[in-house]
Amino acid sequence: MSEDRMTPKERFQAFLSGKPMDRFLCVPLILNHAARISGVKVSEYNRDGRVMAECHIRAYRRYGHDLITIFSDTAITAEAMGSELHYPEDDVPRLERPAVTDAADLSRLVRATPADGRLPVYLEAIRTAASAVGDEVPVACCFMAPFSVAAMLRGVDMLARDLYRNKPLAHHLLSLSLEVCKDFADAIIDAGGIPIVGDPVATGSILGERQFREFVLPYLQELHAHIARRGVPPLLHICGQTIRILDAMIESGAALLSLDDISMAEARDRAGDKVALMGNVRPAQTLLRGSPEDVLAEVRSLCSIGRECKSGFILGSGCEVPIGTPPENLEAMLAGVREYGRLS
Amino acid sequence: MDTTSEILLKELARAVVEMDEEGAVAAACRAIELGMDPQIAISEGLSAGMRKVGELYERGEYFVPEILICSDAMYAAIDVLEPHIKVSPARRPVRVILGVIEGDIHDLGKNIVKIMLEAAGFEVEDLGRDVKAESFVRAARETGSGIIGLSTLMSTTMDNMAKVVQGLREAGLRKNFQIMIGGGPTSPAFAREIGADGHGANATEAVELAESLAGRLPCLKTG
Repeated sequence: MSEDRMTPKERFQAFLSGKPMDRFLCVPLILNHAARISGVKVSEYNRDGRVMAECHIRAYRRYGHDLITIFSDTAITAEAMGSELHYPEDDVPRLERPAVTDAADLSRLVRATPADGRLPVYLEAIRTAASAVGDEVPVACCFMAPFSVAAMLRGVDMLARDLYRNKPLAHHLLSLSLEVCKDFADAIIDAGGIPIVGDPVATGSILGERQFREFVLPYLQELHAHIARRGVPPLLHICGQTIRILDAMIESGAALLSLDDISMAEARDRAGDKVALMGNVRPAQTLLRGSPEDVLAEVRSLCSIGRECKSGFILGSGCEVPIGTPPENLEAMLAGVREYGRLS
Repeated sequence: MDTTSEILLKELARAVVEMDEEGAVAAACRAIELGMDPQIAISEGLSAGMRKVGELYERGEYFVPEILICSDAMYAAIDVLEPHIKVSPARRPVRVILGVIEGDIHDLGKNIVKIMLEAAGFEVEDLGRDVKAESFVRAARETGSGIIGLSTLMSTTMDNMAKVVQGLREAGLRKNFQIMIGGGPTSPAFAREIGADGHGANATEAVELAESLAGRLPCLKTG
């Protein structure tokens, strides 16, 4: 096995500036798994920024992956704006009561600031991790894009109906969410983090391309432009099946697309030199349920596809690394990228 | 069947496919006025429309928003028709106990499977989301026999599916039920591994699977 010759931070900077790297970046989306391997309950992890940071630092020390990804759950932004969540002891919180059940609720909706709800938890986690290990590994923070925020303000099934029955309400929620998203992206950058825009509800498993272009794309474009104006490359993650919306995702202005349930070879051909790609070791089948050998085989095939990505490739997991993933499978992912992802 | 009835059945189907809730309700009222058998209006009108919706979904022409709005039209018309159904015990439909397993927050996929199963004539008992293994076993004991559908979108909760299979075994109910699973991280191999009877990758497959599993149920006419 070959040895690393760069730190994650050096590698990441080389990737962004198009300079030579020793190997592909390896970014398994380690989120709540960081709590599990640290012996911390998810309910403690997602409410205390210091705890969250300590879990991620421990995970980084163990695996040596190339990007710390601060995140817990998809409803935090909507929670700061008025939705209520239920907190299981050792799993991710879920939407309990959407903020907007009818038009009258709109007046009670809060244009949240980064000081509201649990948003400060994430910011504190970024600052803590960045000050502890930021000189060797970059710290990123996933946060929800407008469509996914609106879905957590309204409930996914109600927002889906609004796309036909109440477009003004949908656009009202999306516009307000966009403003909150922009402010939070700024706060992430100010805290020393790299924002990763996540839009799990805008997946092709739920929406068609026409709806994506009408209700998702304009808001993503504005958010990405806002991030780019800060001098930070916009990174976009959408999970599930995305092949039908891939062309629209490419038009979103993202510098990098993190992909899940999709053929990476087909994505590479469609992306051409327009956008870098990240992915997509299968989270459940391979990382959670597979063996280290299964992980290595998938890493090998992805790295060979990655070599033909004209705008760059990062080896990643398709979606969140499942909480209970055996650590040896993540170790195999890192070993695999050192073996099969060598670049110079 | 006379021409008026045929036109009405087509209108019921059309209204569902075209997301026309008012049209579906109006056609259902007309069916009652004309003395049409409400069960036929449902199975050959509304359900036929919903099957077409399923096909459009499979072809990538319809997506989740369309399915939800089509089903709203279907259910609004069923609400008109249902009070007029004369219950005949001979035609008892196959029961499906459906739920998203413990620890899982996502129920969108399950709701769509429910819509398509009901459109196909199954009687669905929806246990909702975040359903504990014991609740599936309790519902199974009350129902006696039928199909159990488990879904999840989260890999963290997959192992809880095995607990349901195990719980049914321990309660001596396993042989009375066919178990099907579905949802993002699941696979046919995983279904075999935990001892379930089948795996459906999407709502259409789930309905086909339920229809084939219904044929395997003991001592029960599948209607």
